Amino acid sequence: MKRQFKLLSVLPALLVLTLSAPAGAAGKEDGVGPNIPAPVKGEQCVEDTDVMRRNHMKYLKSHRDETLREGIRTKQYSLKECLECHVPPKDEAQASQTEGEHFCKSCHQYAAVRVDCFECHATRPEKSAMFHPLVTPGMQTMKDVHQPDSTELLNNFAENQNNTGAIQ
Amino acid sequence: MSDSKHTDQARRDFLNNSAKLAAGVTLASGVMLYGVAHARPAEQPATSEVRWGMLVDTNKCAKGCDACVTGCENENGWGQGSNDEQKSNANQKAQWIRKVELRNTATGHVHSLPMMCQHCETPPCVDVCPTGASMKRADGIVLVDKHICIGCRYCMMACPYKARSFVHEALEDQRAHAPRGKGTVEACTFCVHKLDAGEGTTACAEACNTEGHKAIIVGDLKDPNSEIAQAVAEYATTQVRADLGLNTGMRYRGI
Repeated sequence: MKRQFKLLSVLPALLVLTLSAPAGAAGKEDGVGPNIPAPVKGEQCVEDTDVMRRNHMKYLKSHRDETLREGIRTKQYSLKECLECHVPPKDEAQASQTEGEHFCKSCHQYAAVRVDCFECHATRPEKSAMFHPLVTPGMQTMKDVHQPDSTELLNNFAENQNNTGAIQ
Repeated sequence: MSDSKHTDQARRDFLNNSAKLAAGVTLASGVMLYGVAHARPAEQPATSEVRWGMLVDTNKCAKGCDACVTGCENENGWGQGSNDEQKSNANQKAQWIRKVELRNTATGHVHSLPMMCQHCETPPCVDVCPTGASMKRADGIVLVDKHICIGCRYCMMACPYKARSFVHEALEDQRAHAPRGKGTVEACTFCVHKLDAGEGTTACAEACNTEGHKAIIVGDLKDPNSEIAQAVAEYATTQVRADLGLNTGMRYRGI
């Protein structure tokens, strides 16, 4: 038990150290570290990269309870939205999910962290969303204009974007 | 030079699209108003001001039709068309909704109706769950929190409606809005993802309407203006096993 705790306390540091490759780097240039696929779309994550590396599990865990138990469906820390940006959709070719080519899995595999999210959750988005409502400049501008009550509108918009074919 | 031209074109397209998008908001706002007015904002939790309910008119429910079952399968990725439980025997497989035919032995009259989670006000599955995974949302939807479900299946035994299933095998290619996996219990979710998105209906009701039977009404039992509230006020409706006093969200007409 003690050993486990020790291991747990070392892990985040280990992750940060090993993942200090430049953001968006598609692959290990220096031959060290996991092979992290580059994001499919979006210019920046919902939080800064270092914050996400350290805290993504906390965000996801808190969001899952809010969503399932209370029905809060915000998109910022939603696992589904992670995949929207980081994993190509079903209709696009991608290497097997089991061989460490998946955005989440590649890193966890490298760090020897077993996550069971994908025992139940879909490993890739169903269809391509052309932009992420939270981070695309166009959407950000709209959000600023419609503040503060536009989240719903934006979310609806993000979902209907395939029909509008707007900003990419 | 060609690069800068390219950039200019990209910039132009971007601005053009932005303009279209902005126009889209204005144009679409009228269209979306209905949805926005009725949908709960994403950041607000479900409240007990709403009680989701479903009314099945068994007189309209056609014998031999299983459109609601197929609709649910397609929406939630179980049963036919999915890669569910290849090795399990047929009666172990997941079943979120099923068609039941009841025959009155005295008259020979046959009823047909869909049977699924009845979304009880006082659900026995929630009572018996040792981990708190079986839960009822504020708006009356009974769900399984698969994050903490240990697969003990007490809830399956407690449910008087045989509404829950257990997943025995590892699954792949789940629908993004309907996570399901080995070792957890699952059941009808009242298409909670659709309701939360403000669609106000379920896959089974949609499928039934498409088929033209219109036997299923979905709505808020607490909203006196909703179609379902007016229907239950006007017609005699029944809860299955009403003697158990569970006050189900599912109601039936004509049984």
